[in-house]
Amino acid sequence: MAEAVESPGDPGTTTPRPLMRDLKAVGKKFMHVLYPRKSNTLLRDWDLWGPLILCVTLALMLQRGSVDSEKDGGPQFAEVFVIVWFGAVTITLNSKLLGGNISFFQSLCVLGYCILPLTMALLVCRLVLLAEPGPINFMVRLFVVIIMFAWSIVASTAFLADSQPPNRKALAVYPVFLFYFVISWMILTFTPQ
Amino acid sequence: PSRPVPTLAPPHSLLPREPGCGSRAGFPLLLRLLLAGGVLFASGRSLPAAAALTWLPEVGLAPSRHVAAGEGLWAPGEGLGGWVCQDSTDDTEDVSLFDAEEETTNRPKKSKIRHPVASFFHLFFRVSAIIVYLLCELFSSSFIACMVTIILLLSCDFWAVKNVTGRLMVGLRWWNHIDEDGKSHWVFESRKASPQEGKTVSEAESRIFWLGLVACPVLWVVFAFSALFSFRVKWLAVVIMGVVLQGANLYGYIRCKVGSRKNLTSMATTYLGRQFLRQTTGDTQTSSGE
Repeated sequence: MAEAVESPGDPGTTTPRPLMRDLKAVGKKFMHVLYPRKSNTLLRDWDLWGPLILCVTLALMLQRGSVDSEKDGGPQFAEVFVIVWFGAVTITLNSKLLGGNISFFQSLCVLGYCILPLTMALLVCRLVLLAEPGPINFMVRLFVVIIMFAWSIVASTAFLADSQPPNRKALAVYPVFLFYFVISWMILTFTPQ
Repeated sequence: PSRPVPTLAPPHSLLPREPGCGSRAGFPLLLRLLLAGGVLFASGRSLPAAAALTWLPEVGLAPSRHVAAGEGLWAPGEGLGGWVCQDSTDDTEDVSLFDAEEETTNRPKKSKIRHPVASFFHLFFRVSAIIVYLLCELFSSSFIACMVTIILLLSCDFWAVKNVTGRLMVGLRWWNHIDEDGKSHWVFESRKASPQEGKTVSEAESRIFWLGLVACPVLWVVFAFSALFSFRVKWLAVVIMGVVLQGANLYGYIRCKVGSRKNLTSMATTYLGRQFLRQTTGDTQTSSGE
């Protein structure tokens, strides 16, 4: 959504330049989430395109297909949206109230991008669900979701924990834990029918 | 009362790069003016200097756009002071390309549409998002497809208006800048009026831009209320998204146009005061006339 760009470009430059620059920025941030290192660049150039894409993907894949077209998954789509965005806003407010020095949109950016591992978990779960149901099926999905959940937590705390004073780190991190826990729960309990 | 700080922005290559690229302190105004004037005077090809000078924070109210370069007062922007922070080499190359193109075309009239593609897309995404929202039941029975389409259109519209059409059509831009201390600044800039014909704002484009920019968020707010009161709550998520995205662009461009927050409130109060005065003098005139 809104972007942090230090050099928006001169008037009169053609369109592909800002587009490619923005796409590259989004791709770079996805890479940063997959290999979380302590780096400042993710925080400095925040943008909300990645969270939007991930949220829409998550909402689309968490649809329960139904024959009746009236209840065709509308409420669940909006539910995922509300949970993700409202949850992210709440966590950001919490960390700001605790005295963190991270800006509102930066925090939203980090939380949104760190949903990427859970989205990958959802993809894997949907593939696994194509096989026959049973306890093994469930164990595999549980394992995958737990791994990705841990990955999300590690990635987001690598960026967020630094902005808090040392004695408040746990207070700022546990809502993040809850947030990703709720999303993981939605992914784990998802069945297509 | 206008702030009397006409800080010109010298090109980057001549000055030491200050940390955070925006602190006004520590560099006397007179020295900066002298440097800028010297560069403009001495350089035969004034294009790099022109590039640095074309963007000024918050030129102010609309009439000042027609003021010639170097004259008049403008309010400095917030956060980055009077400096133009850009990554220099990229932009100077682009400016020289732009100027070369402009020389070969005829001088366009002020009322002609100079960027037809940008104007079309400025209105296309907004209007089609509204049309899809209104006619979704006719198009397809799937709520999901409608919702995703509207979200896509709203996102494309936000990106296009913020990054492309505002810059091209009315010469305004705004963005967020996070400096090295981690503090975030919102920067609102408007393009300085230049003596070149190619860079002034055309009336038709300005009208199209502002019409599209103002009418659509108002419509989305109306849709929000109607969704709330008619209990079609499942649409509320997408309607709120429309309000937020388009409202953000509206707010950003109004800030660019009007100047700092103080200017906005003072402008609003003077406007209201004038209206009130007109009302009361009109009343006294009619009463005395009878």
